[in-house]
Amino acid sequence: MAGTIAFDRVGVRFGEHNALSDVTITLTQARIGVIGLNGSGKSTFARMLNALVLPGAGEVRVHGIDPSAEAARVRRIAGFVFANPDAQIIMPTVAEDVAFSLRGRGVPQAEIAARVTAELEVFGLSALADAPAHELSGGQKQLLALCAVLITRPELVIADEPTALLDARNRRLIIDHLFSERVPQLVLVTHDLDLAARCDVVLRFEDGRLLEHGDPAEIIARYSEAYA
Amino acid sequence: MISLYRPGTSPLHRMPAGRKLLLIGVLVLAISIYPHTLWTLGIAVAVVVAGYLIAGQGISGLWRQVRMVWMLIVFTGVFQLIFVPWPAATITTTRILLVILCAALISLTTQTSAMLDAIERGLTPLSRIGVRADRIALLLALTITVIPVILGFARDIITAHRARGVRPGPRTFVVPLLVHTMRFADELGEALVARGLRS
Repeated sequence: MAGTIAFDRVGVRFGEHNALSDVTITLTQARIGVIGLNGSGKSTFARMLNALVLPGAGEVRVHGIDPSAEAARVRRIAGFVFANPDAQIIMPTVAEDVAFSLRGRGVPQAEIAARVTAELEVFGLSALADAPAHELSGGQKQLLALCAVLITRPELVIADEPTALLDARNRRLIIDHLFSERVPQLVLVTHDLDLAARCDVVLRFEDGRLLEHGDPAEIIARYSEAYA
Repeated sequence: MISLYRPGTSPLHRMPAGRKLLLIGVLVLAISIYPHTLWTLGIAVAVVVAGYLIAGQGISGLWRQVRMVWMLIVFTGVFQLIFVPWPAATITTTRILLVILCAALISLTTQTSAMLDAIERGLTPLSRIGVRADRIALLLALTITVIPVILGFARDIITAHRARGVRPGPRTFVVPLLVHTMRFADELGEALVARGLRS
């Protein structure tokens, strides 16, 4: 079941630049799409859910947690998938990188090994368990990144353009995993409007403001009309 | 140091990482510090070759490692020959080669995570004087992991030069490499935080 994400008059400034201004919204949907032009504030919005960016004004609550006060706690329930999978790989081999996600979570060593084996199987990466992670293809790396997030059984997955660098086959695989029941709640930042259309609600950002939100078909139609 | 691990079931693969690091560490010290003659150095060569055979890497595996560092060895040997007699040059150059081969033998038979756990355990007593063993282990892991990424940046920059019909110069190569690397470091830092590592 999806938790509640609440923004109350939230603003973020980077130097002189207003990255996000006066955003107020409460979201309880399971699949939340975020669209907008480059630099519109959608990635800043997503990063605030994982305490990668903290509000300069206003208040954020993610499943009842204040990311500003309890960053570590919010990161335990919220996994993040970036556009560039290279930067998400920390350990040299595939299995070690997936296992790294469970470090410091009090999971016994034997259980870590079993969960890594099972997770790699789900993602079709078993044959690559001992392969150097950085020698994988771009699609395999993104699968690995998502695998490393889902092994922690997150309540919320935030994905910032996760399919931007992928071919059609790997795009489909990533989407299937993101929209599976294993992801209780998804915040998906994307330029892929077909993908956004699959969400329960879409947020449209422009110039650091939440311009509108609601039914995906209507929001996407207006966005396409404005920029197509 | 890059990840060279080759899965296997040899006695060296099965040996706990800490004990293996200690054993090969002692061998490295013996190779480096002991005042070798050509005869005692021959024994050291035999021990290292035996190590590769026991680890199931064979002579071909040993040769693969030698080929990876042959330029360094030739350079060192020639440089030594200019200043010292040939027996001393041979001993020094062979010592360097054997130490590199010993280090590779650890990497070939030990998963990085096992090696890092052993290093972390070994350094834990130093936590009393404020040393963060987990951070040192993570730093080593990241070093091993990002070397191929930065090599990839270098390859991309050279390819981009070729595509535009120009030769890479020191400035047009180093500056973009630094920019790519620093941007990557930013992204990696953000990913580390997102994966639960405290900043």
